[in-house]
Amino acid sequence: MSSTLDKLYAILRRDLLTAVRHRSGFIVTLVGVFTELAAFYFLSRAIGPGFRPDGVEYFPFLLVGTGVYTFFLMSAQAFLRAVQEAQQTGTLEVLLTTSTAPAELVILSSISAFSGSLVNLLIYLFAGVAVFRASIHANLFSCAAVLILSLAIALALGIAAATLQVAFQKGSALLWLLGSGLWFLSGTMFPIHSLPRPLELLSRAVPLTYAIDGMRRALLEGQSLTAMAPTLAVLAGFGVVLLPLALAGLSLSLRRARRDGTLSFY
Amino acid sequence: MERIVFESVRKAFRHRPALFNWLGREQRGETVALKDVSFSAASAEILALLGPNGSGKTTALKLISTTLLPDAGAVRVGGSDARHEAGKVRRQVGIAVAAERSFFPRLSARENLDFFAALDEVSRSERAQRIQEVLRDTGLEEQADILVMKFSSGMYQRLGIARALVKRPSVLLLDEPTRSLDAGTTARFWTTIRALARQQTTVLLATHNFAEATAVADRLLLLHRGELLVDRSIGDSESAEALRAFYFRMTGEIDEAICNL
Repeated sequence: MSSTLDKLYAILRRDLLTAVRHRSGFIVTLVGVFTELAAFYFLSRAIGPGFRPDGVEYFPFLLVGTGVYTFFLMSAQAFLRAVQEAQQTGTLEVLLTTSTAPAELVILSSISAFSGSLVNLLIYLFAGVAVFRASIHANLFSCAAVLILSLAIALALGIAAATLQVAFQKGSALLWLLGSGLWFLSGTMFPIHSLPRPLELLSRAVPLTYAIDGMRRALLEGQSLTAMAPTLAVLAGFGVVLLPLALAGLSLSLRRARRDGTLSFY
Repeated sequence: MERIVFESVRKAFRHRPALFNWLGREQRGETVALKDVSFSAASAEILALLGPNGSGKTTALKLISTTLLPDAGAVRVGGSDARHEAGKVRRQVGIAVAAERSFFPRLSARENLDFFAALDEVSRSERAQRIQEVLRDTGLEEQADILVMKFSSGMYQRLGIARALVKRPSVLLLDEPTRSLDAGTTARFWTTIRALARQQTTVLLATHNFAEATAVADRLLLLHRGELLVDRSIGDSESAEALRAFYFRMTGEIDEAICNL
C-alpha cells in the first residue's frame, strides 16, 4: 500500500512539475475558462430569463452541463495524450519494464490526469458562481457522490481510449466520437426531453447523461442522497460494468502489442 | 545457477499492410528476428551480444525485459518465465537502450531518476543516495538538476544507463550503451560494469564495438540473421582486432576497414 501511494505521489509530482513548467499553459487554460463562461453567460442573457430548462436558470444549467462534459473530455484527452507522448518518446516501453504492473501504472497515471481536470472543473464552477453570479444550492454530499461515481466512468473512458491507442494507434477516434456526438446526446446544453423520442432513448444509454443530470440536481437544486439514489445507482452500475471491461481491454491490447512488437508504434 | 535462460526461442514480426495497400507499396509477410535461439547466462557473467543490424540483438533484450513475448520457446530470468511471470522478471531486470529519449523532458535528470526509482519500488529512504551514486557513476552529477530537454545525445545516454542502474538489477541489459559517449565516460562505464559483475549482476551487452566486447565481456554470443552462430568465451588476451577478424569471418560480411587499406 505504501509503495502504491509512493508511486501515486511520484506520478502526481511528475505531472504537476510538467504542468507548471509549461509556463503559458496554465494562463491559457484560465483565459479559455473565462472566455467560454462569458460566451455562455451572454448566450443565456440573449435567450432571456423565460427559458428555464428543468426548472433552473439557463446559465447555471449550461455551467454544470459544459463543466462536467469538459471534465470528462479533458480527462480522457489528458490521459490519451500521456499515452501517445509515451509512445512517441519510447517512454511507454520503459515504463512497462519497471516493477510496476501495467494495470496499476495505468490507473495511477489516469488518477493524475483526472486530478488536473478536476482542478479545472472546480475553477470553472467557482468562476461561474463568483464572477458570473450563477445561483446554486449545493448539497455537498450529493455532489461528492456524483463526482466519485462519474470519475469511475471517466476513468473507464480514458482507459478505453488508451486501449484503442495501443491496439490500433487510434485512441483519438473515441474522443472524436465523444467530442462530436455525446455533447449533443448527453444534455450538455439543453434537456434531453427536447430530443426526438429515439434520440432521447439513446441518450439514456449514455453514462455522461446521468453524470450531468446528477451534478445539476446536486449542485443547483441541492437534492439529497436519498432523492438521488436512482441516478447514483445507475452511475454506479455503469462504473461497475465499464471499468473492469476497460481494464480487461487494455490488458489484452498490451499483451497483443507485446506479441506483435507494436508497443511504441504511433 | 543460470540467471538467464533462452530455450529454443523464436520471434517473428508480421507485416500487415493497410487496407488500401494498392495506394502504396508496403511489404506483406514476416521478418523472423530470432530462429530457435538457445543460450544461458550465469550470475556475475558479462555476455557481449554481437551481430550486424537486424540480427536480433535488440529483440533478444526486449524478450528478456518482457516488452516482447516469444512466439515459441521460453525465456526465463532467475527461474521466472517471462511470459507468465512478467512481474517477477521485471523486478530483476534493468535495461538501457541506445538513442535514449525516453524521459520526461520537463523534469530534471534527478527528478526523472526519482520517478522511475519510485515505479521500480526503490524505498524512499534509499532513493536519494542511490540516485546520487548513479549520477556520479555516469558523470552526471553537475547536470543533475538541469531539465533533460536541454541534454545532448551523450547525456541522454548516460541518464539511460543511470536509470537502469538505480534499481540495482540482478540482470542488466545494455543496448549499445556507449554509442554516443566520450572516451572518458566510456572507460568509467566499463569499470562500473565490471564492478557490477563482481557483485553478481549478470550483464548482457549488445554492441558493435569490438574494443568494448573484449574489454568487459567474458563470453561472446554472435547473432546473424536471427540465428546464434557462436557462443564461446572471450579470452583475457583476445584483442579487439582478433575479435573483429573473427566476426567478419563468421558472418561473411565485408570488412570495409580492410577494403580501404
